[in-house]
Amino acid sequence: MSKGLHRFALLVACATFFLIIAGALVTSHDAGLATNDWPLSNGQVFPKMVGNLFWEHGHRMVATTVGLLTIALVVFLFAKEKRRWVRRLGLLALFGVIAQGLLGGLTVKLNLPLAVSAAHATLAQLFFCTTVSLAVFTSQSWMANRPLLDERPGPPLRYICSAAAATIFLQLIIGATLRHSATWDKPLPTDLLLTHIAGAFAVTLLLGSASLLVLRRYRDEAFLTRPALVALALLLVQLSLGVAAYIVRAASPNDPQPLNPMVGVTVAHVACGALVFATTIVLTLRVFKVLRPAEQALKFSAATQRG
Amino acid sequence: MSMKQTKVWLILTIALSLLGLASACSKTPEGTSDNGAPTTTGKAFTPKGDEGTITGTIAYNGTPPAAKKIDTSADPVCGQKSPNLATEDNVITNGKLGYAFVYIKDGATTDGTKVGDYTFTAPSDTVTLDQNGCHYRPHVLGAMVNQKLNITNSDPTQHNIHFTPKNNPDWNQSQPNGAPPLTHSFARSEVLVPVKCNQHPWMKAYVGVLKHPFFAVSAEDGTFTIKGVPPGTYTVAAWHEGGATGTEKTMSVTVPASGSAKADFAFGEGASAAGAPSLEMMPAIEVPVVGHH
Repeated sequence: MSKGLHRFALLVACATFFLIIAGALVTSHDAGLATNDWPLSNGQVFPKMVGNLFWEHGHRMVATTVGLLTIALVVFLFAKEKRRWVRRLGLLALFGVIAQGLLGGLTVKLNLPLAVSAAHATLAQLFFCTTVSLAVFTSQSWMANRPLLDERPGPPLRYICSAAAATIFLQLIIGATLRHSATWDKPLPTDLLLTHIAGAFAVTLLLGSASLLVLRRYRDEAFLTRPALVALALLLVQLSLGVAAYIVRAASPNDPQPLNPMVGVTVAHVACGALVFATTIVLTLRVFKVLRPAEQALKFSAATQRG
Repeated sequence: MSMKQTKVWLILTIALSLLGLASACSKTPEGTSDNGAPTTTGKAFTPKGDEGTITGTIAYNGTPPAAKKIDTSADPVCGQKSPNLATEDNVITNGKLGYAFVYIKDGATTDGTKVGDYTFTAPSDTVTLDQNGCHYRPHVLGAMVNQKLNITNSDPTQHNIHFTPKNNPDWNQSQPNGAPPLTHSFARSEVLVPVKCNQHPWMKAYVGVLKHPFFAVSAEDGTFTIKGVPPGTYTVAAWHEGGATGTEKTMSVTVPASGSAKADFAFGEGASAAGAPSLEMMPAIEVPVVGHH
């Protein structure tokens, strides 16, 4: 195990989180088309960063940095990592960041069609989770020998966590589509908004259940309770930010321009959504790592008794 | 090269080719119309010398919403040139409304020919939309289908002109300071096409695109004149921005031969008496046009 590798994977995950914030700032400022040029901005590598070009070109610069960091991470993985599947995950991250860059260029060139912009925002979240997973898999806590725990009677946690992660991902797609459906000076489409609100209820139910079950069943297992607690706290913050984002966004068409309260709250909602997804992925991975499925637990128990 | 590597390179090549294709498709040749809107034929409109005018005033009843100050700190050049920049959605002087777009929406000439059955030639003179002091001048303007719009940048900073129509293709171009004017035209009628600058998001303008020349924009004192209207009975519409799609009011007007007809509109509180309000922007009537593209 290489501590350096884990730290570098953490750095890439943090940089990706910063990139998601930079991308959200572009959307909230309606800056995606501040230049109709790509990959250069108005034919320049370093244009004058004024007006909305600051956000759009800034986003491109952060994205380039993340791309370079991802390449370095893959090189690092192939040099230090012995597990082939982890190296392959690194390659997947590299393909993800390349595809993400191409989608970013495509959406600018096509004047931000909804499908491409929403796909760009969704792939950003998937890429972020891939980098977070790499940080998890290279960590000391993941590779330490841990005794397996039995799934307790009741709804299996492995399934609930998986369902929570899948539902959050769907909710992120709906959220991305909602954000890119209407610029700050247009009202949000009601049908998508209601779908997103319904999605929030579903996420709350699944992630809330998963976290509370972990806290109740495995209260002494910090390996599981830590991500469960963080996920629960982030979920509450995210729900509050969602309400706040709706209030400021509903008022924004009357504003002369995107104002800081609307930009700040909507960007925080996107960023917190990414953290909720990432934490749920961490929780799910850890649950799969240490929990023995109920049927295996029964067999193990029977074998132990015979022995 | 292994089979796997070949696959990877193949996927990358396809992705890059798609990007290049999209890039090529998004470029529109300068000074041309963007799409192949169907060219229709009809009865060519020929002035007979008995044309009249439609004049009127756009009033605003009640207290208008106050103009909002714009924060230009994102681009210092804007603040230097326009230190008191404010929104222009309600330009009201002594109860009269400026920048209302007035046009003939429907109707027929005295011989019974619908205005939509005539064809009109787009004038060769251009209409100018200037970016000056980080706002558009004028704020509302009209143009005929296929008439060239001249877009100039009088600011010492870069702008980005972005038409976001519904009936015409989206058009987005950057225009650095000192760059030559851009030209653009619309192949289909549309009332009205919003214009924005993605560089300075407070910049907004509207272009009314019609296949006939019977339109006007109210001056700051609320007055307007539509000239060269053949005698007949028409539905005249006045559009004023605000909300998601603006507000439109219509009224029936009869233009006598070589005479003048009056069409006064009112917006604001309790203004429905002068013209019937419309909840959403209506598409402009489709009049066959002679201009080809």
